[in-house]
Amino acid sequence: MQQATETRELIEVEVLGHRLRGTFHRPAGLGTRGVGEQRTAVLFLNSLALPRAATGDSAIYWAASFAEHGYPAFRFDLQGLGDSDGETSTDLLDFINAGGYAPSAAALAKELTARDGISGVVIAGHCAGSVTAVFAAASCRECNGLILMDPYFHLPVAKRPEVREKLSDWVRRSSVGKMLSNLYDRAKLLRLILRGSTLPGNANVALLGRWKNVAAAGLPILMFKAPGIKATGSKPRLGEFDYIQHVLKLAGRKSRVTVKTVATADHSFANRAGRDAVRREIENWLACNFPPQGSESSAHTASLSSAKTRHSDSTKPSMPPSSRDCALEGR
Amino acid sequence: MSPLQSQLHADKRLTERAGYFEVSGAHLYTVLHEVRNPAARLLLVGPFASERHNTYIPLVRWARYLAARDIEVLRYDYRGIGESTGVLDELTFDDWAQDVLLLSAWLAERSPAAPLVLHGLALGSVLAGRAFDSGTGDALLLWSPPANANQALRSTLMRWVGLEQIFKFGNDRRSTADYIRALEQGSPLEVEGYEWSTRLWQDSFGFTLPQTLENEQSAASAYQRPVKITRLGKEAAPLAKGGSVGYDDLKDFTWLFAPHHDWIAEAASKFNKVEAHAAGH
Repeated sequence: MQQATETRELIEVEVLGHRLRGTFHRPAGLGTRGVGEQRTAVLFLNSLALPRAATGDSAIYWAASFAEHGYPAFRFDLQGLGDSDGETSTDLLDFINAGGYAPSAAALAKELTARDGISGVVIAGHCAGSVTAVFAAASCRECNGLILMDPYFHLPVAKRPEVREKLSDWVRRSSVGKMLSNLYDRAKLLRLILRGSTLPGNANVALLGRWKNVAAAGLPILMFKAPGIKATGSKPRLGEFDYIQHVLKLAGRKSRVTVKTVATADHSFANRAGRDAVRREIENWLACNFPPQGSESSAHTASLSSAKTRHSDSTKPSMPPSSRDCALEGR
Repeated sequence: MSPLQSQLHADKRLTERAGYFEVSGAHLYTVLHEVRNPAARLLLVGPFASERHNTYIPLVRWARYLAARDIEVLRYDYRGIGESTGVLDELTFDDWAQDVLLLSAWLAERSPAAPLVLHGLALGSVLAGRAFDSGTGDALLLWSPPANANQALRSTLMRWVGLEQIFKFGNDRRSTADYIRALEQGSPLEVEGYEWSTRLWQDSFGFTLPQTLENEQSAASAYQRPVKITRLGKEAAPLAKGGSVGYDDLKDFTWLFAPHHDWIAEAASKFNKVEAHAAGH
């Protein structure tokens, strides 16, 4: 058995008493920029209970691509997940939403940054993984940026009652159900208007606090939204609280948050069109915010383009894959 | 803390070695749950593609459970799936069958000698069963074996369609039959990030479980080696259909693991006695 292939290496890191197992995607041109070269790495975290490959092996696809573009990429299983040692809570969702994995993720980022040639990490998380990413970033100096895919800022119910599931299914199947659903949405909208800008009762206040800390401090953050149920663009379904708008407001004027809606993706971003769009966006964003050493022009462009909050239109799959134009960020 | 969790905590000394096993044009990702003097060795052939992800945690825990009880386990990812390299679109059931034989041979050659158990789940049952039928392995344990690979694919497809329908209303909702029709007419289908080709779908009908493995009685008369076949109910989700991904993964499976471990231990013990007897003569 080998520990490595031409481009990948299996690694183990001892973090907070647990042996975490992961895969390192070696960057192209490693060692060609001379002694002391420093690069920003990308660290992928688990999405809920999924192993580090993620849905449809999408994390492997992204990590391999970023490595090809010169960014070291790591995919790790946190304790009790995938191949890593340790136990995790049986109430995994609650544990994650309370920032339970943040100490491990932050310690892991620190451990990886101590490696030769790594100046810091961009933490990437999908869904529940993005919650861990935000919590970790708030407690970690080694985090240079965040990539958040379909993050949520409320406390979802882990498992809905069966009756509710059946009712939802009927609503989706029948035309009467659809009509009733639309009426229900309007009633919710009315309630939302009456409540004003008050946060919903199930908002994850702790998470929003950490978000404010990191976003307002100017940490580069790239956020992806996939179309939700009865929703368009990054806007939520009628009657639902607009968390994206809320977090952008919390982030303030000095933040460096970019929001992209990937119209071609489903929630997992693992479908071909979705993962391609995400890959292109991240590669552009990395090049703008973390240009390879020695690329002064890129760094200059990045500093000009990234010092404000951006909220983009949908990402179309027709965007040229080779495009590295930072101006795209401001669309 | 559950009895299983306590056991796992007590067994931190267990060694798990992840590695890449080179096959033609690819590297298979493997994890060996190493045991110094194993009573048996077991090759764990998991389910296909997206089912790999859904069953990952219970199967890792199963491997650890066995290793803590002196059964060495090798688990791996199919070529082109998960951490293994290779291009899924270019692979066939025969490639995956070959991987089972190569890994079985590698495991059987490890020292000291110990009986080799092949263990499959869902499509993995078909792969393990076919390898066993060809003479590989000293015992066979099958969980929810389908009659052929198509049944395994169909089951995955139905679960995925159920998830897809959550996001669709009225006429936008497509049935499993709609997707199958499209596949059969030559359109590839993306199922949870994996592209299924028409070829994969068509080949799956012909990739069958040996008829002798339809039940334990027919297996007992056909092979002079122990065979156990268990059909898992929905209480075994996510190892079986049903339940919720992400919520059922972490439940305690001791009720499933314990009797199957006992069966493996007994099969290994019988094999070792026969071997000792043969050596004595």
